Amino acid sequence: MTRDKDIVIDRAEGHAVKDYRSGMPSTPPTQPEEQHAADENRTLWGDAWYRLRKNRLAIIALVWLVIVAIAAITADAWVPQTFGSPTYFDTAKVAAQRLQSPSLEHPMGTDDIGRDVFARVVYGSRISLTVGILAVVVSLVIGLILGSLSAFYGGFIDAFIMRVADIFLAFPYILFAILLLSVLPENLRGIAPVFLTIGILGWPSIARVFRSSVLSVKENDYVEAGRALGAGDIRLMLRHILPNAVAPIVVYGTMSVGGAILTEAALSFLGLGLPPGSPSWGGMIQDGRNYLTSNPGVVIWPGLAILSTVLAFTLLGDGIRDALDVKLKD
Amino acid sequence: MAGELLKLDDLKMYFHTRDGVVKAVDGVSYTLNPGETLGVVGESGSGKSVTALTMMRLVPMPPGKIEGGEVLFKGESLLTMKEEQVRDIRGNRIAMIFQDPMTSLNPVYRIGHQIAEPLMVHKGMSKAQAHERAVELLEMVGIPNAADRAGDYPHQFSGGMRQRAMIAMALSCDPDVLIADEPTTALDVTIQAQILELMQALQKRTGTAIIMITHDLGVVADMANNILVMYAGRPVEFGTTDQVFYQPRHPYTWGLMDSLPTQNLTEKSALHPIKGQPPSLLHVPTGCSFHPRCPYAKDVCGTMDPPLVDLGGGHLSACLFSGDPGFERRVVEYAEVPE
Amino acid sequence: MLRYILRRIMQFIPVFFGVTLLLFLITTILPGDPVALRAGEKKLPPAVYAEMRHAYGLDKPWYAQYVDYLGKLSKGDLGTSIASGRKVVDIFKETYPYTLRLALAAIVLEILVGIGAGLVSAIKQYTIWDTLVTLSTSILVALPVFWLGIVLQYIFGIQLNILPISGASSARFTAFAHLILPAITLASVSTAYAARIMRSQLLEVQSQDYVRTAYAKGLSPSRVLWGHEMKNALIPVVTFIGLDLGAMLSGAILTETIFNWPGVGFTIYRAIGARDFPVVFGGVTLVLLAVLFVNLLVDVSYAFLDPRIRYGAANEG
Repeated sequence: MTRDKDIVIDRAEGHAVKDYRSGMPSTPPTQPEEQHAADENRTLWGDAWYRLRKNRLAIIALVWLVIVAIAAITADAWVPQTFGSPTYFDTAKVAAQRLQSPSLEHPMGTDDIGRDVFARVVYGSRISLTVGILAVVVSLVIGLILGSLSAFYGGFIDAFIMRVADIFLAFPYILFAILLLSVLPENLRGIAPVFLTIGILGWPSIARVFRSSVLSVKENDYVEAGRALGAGDIRLMLRHILPNAVAPIVVYGTMSVGGAILTEAALSFLGLGLPPGSPSWGGMIQDGRNYLTSNPGVVIWPGLAILSTVLAFTLLGDGIRDALDVKLKD
Repeated sequence: MAGELLKLDDLKMYFHTRDGVVKAVDGVSYTLNPGETLGVVGESGSGKSVTALTMMRLVPMPPGKIEGGEVLFKGESLLTMKEEQVRDIRGNRIAMIFQDPMTSLNPVYRIGHQIAEPLMVHKGMSKAQAHERAVELLEMVGIPNAADRAGDYPHQFSGGMRQRAMIAMALSCDPDVLIADEPTTALDVTIQAQILELMQALQKRTGTAIIMITHDLGVVADMANNILVMYAGRPVEFGTTDQVFYQPRHPYTWGLMDSLPTQNLTEKSALHPIKGQPPSLLHVPTGCSFHPRCPYAKDVCGTMDPPLVDLGGGHLSACLFSGDPGFERRVVEYAEVPE
Repeated sequence: MLRYILRRIMQFIPVFFGVTLLLFLITTILPGDPVALRAGEKKLPPAVYAEMRHAYGLDKPWYAQYVDYLGKLSKGDLGTSIASGRKVVDIFKETYPYTLRLALAAIVLEILVGIGAGLVSAIKQYTIWDTLVTLSTSILVALPVFWLGIVLQYIFGIQLNILPISGASSARFTAFAHLILPAITLASVSTAYAARIMRSQLLEVQSQDYVRTAYAKGLSPSRVLWGHEMKNALIPVVTFIGLDLGAMLSGAILTETIFNWPGVGFTIYRAIGARDFPVVFGGVTLVLLAVLFVNLLVDVSYAFLDPRIRYGAANEG
């Protein structure tokens, strides 16, 4: 572990620069923390936003994600009209329209049954963002509940929950998803089972992160004071512990969305995610595999869409982590 | 002078950080003769450790940069010497021990190996010879069963034993100078005394000069020939141990003395630690850098830089009023630093 | 050290039972009635149905069925393939060597490139090399593996036509040539992680007091790096690579599918398509057990790498 006093954190770059000044205090002495928790939080998030704004990569990532999100939300209003339907195709016209090279009408060309690749990539962002975000929400809900139970009650409950988390973590993620989704009847396939599966598999990491941050907050005086004043467990958790343990969760959650999107793509690629024909990026890559020579775009563009979106979530997560000064284990 | 072993002349080393220039070492001078002990005293952040690291060229550059001054070891400049030559001196002619013996020893190497390493590098000993010598050194610093314990890893040693091992390592090549950077701070009080006794005993045997860096005047009282008091990267008082202890002239030194526990605690001489924190070296106060915490400060202290003045007999002090006959130590509360 | 290893094994036991119980629940309970599944479209007479249920042990309570399941597992009985009628164990006996070969090739790449890149990045911190490594690892980590594989196939197999893109052997190419693209694909993400861990570990170690001590002893920078720094920094990297070997024994499903590599992952993938459940479940079970076992090995070998654990001082963790 690094000892704070010998390290000067160069915030803008996130690097720790060692210097050998023996304990030169680089910050003024801290005042006893008597302010209300809400004040602390306001300055915490205000400072974080200030620092985030100075992180160019994180801002580019944020802008990109906003563009993708706007495209996904507004797609119905402009995509089908301009480029054609992402799913529907006219059997009679397939032969004439399939695998066209990029043109003004079809900026990314068409796929093997004549659908516009750009339209499918835009609609794919809907699936990816929805699955990615909902999966993380599921992980968060399960992880926060189990993590806080674990940290708050300790003892047997803690040991049990953490052992179950070990069991989940011991499972190779993708195989578990394959097992669960392969037994799913055909008529139940869709977005829900995919994000539920990914979400269920993601809870142990969130529970661990949250548990450790709750444990570190729990010993603080103001929690003890709250307890002494007779606050109930749930009230303590909501009012005092949660707001203080939220920073690592925000960081971890942001990064996890990228991971969930990658998993969804892989599952769809294997034919276990969304039903065939859905404009899912992973599914598009699978469908386009055999037509690379005619129109490489059918594979290249969805791949770049996955890459850029996942990268953006990672970079944004990194940026938030540095801005909030959260330390996560690798 | 022929006798001078180590001479620092107006050494300046600044860190150039993103937030500004940190004047970590700002004009430090002293001379160390063979076999002598120099105590360097000050609070943490006063630049006492960085001064030592600077002259050993162990400060990463950048962000560090030598801004002026000279360090002469046996008449040769350590600052302009080639890196290979400095390496021949480090651990060989000038050795160092550090504050925290737990983190200063490499956790994945056996103690014996770590002590043997400088012998192999500097004395060209074989592995077997060096190991044999390492065991002797461990015996010398009072580790029982040294032959067995040489095979231990640092975490298997107690704190005091680790510092003994560090001392053995530092003395392995029979250095001319031993720089001890807060060697007892991380240890229990009883162990502290043992380590200091050990260092004194070894100094008698080997004739090594010692630079004892500490925040605790008490540590150097019995050991040092001369004492240098530092504040905010600058020397504020220098003199023989008698001069600094019995006729201290700088209010900061008075503050350090007031914070020492005395044997007969009367109400009047009760413990008065200096209040507040040393200044951030990024924003050193103008004038005398101590003036915001100094109970004797006058308006002029905030504007005028006090020079280091010889008060006679080599006793130096950097306070505008040190020379005034009426300027005497009072029993005072030291002021809080204004925020 | 013995105590550490014993504790790890003790921790392994509940994980083992938990994992097998989950497997049992998913593979035996979830897919519905295996008797009906066997019978296919036909409706069985009630008497035959009951007899078959008894024969399969389905009339017993679930925990008794779980014990049966464990018994079968221990005998290596994973059922028979619906599609080919062959024993599932035999199918995977044939395919596992391919998976192992691919995993080892990928690990070699990961060690050479990952550790190398991380080392360069840390030593040349703040230079263009560091930026290059940091940037490329970020991209690699965000890259869908299957897409990378397909793009590599397109470039080297189709456009340049210099490397094979399918299978493990052919008349035109050597077995080694067949290994190249799959190994690069499989190693890509892990190599990026290995490089990042190597970099961050080395940077952290470089700021440790004992490194300052090493310099103060008069050691040369290369001696400090290869001796004092690497010996410490490599411990977590080696642990990661060990765990990764375990993951590669399973994670290869995407890579093997793209390159038609006749390993475990490809077999599982084809079985999913064919709805050949015994092969899917059997394959996943085998792979999971292999992963669990490798993880246990890594945990135990950690003790040999770190003297603080070997000589029993580390009580935490």
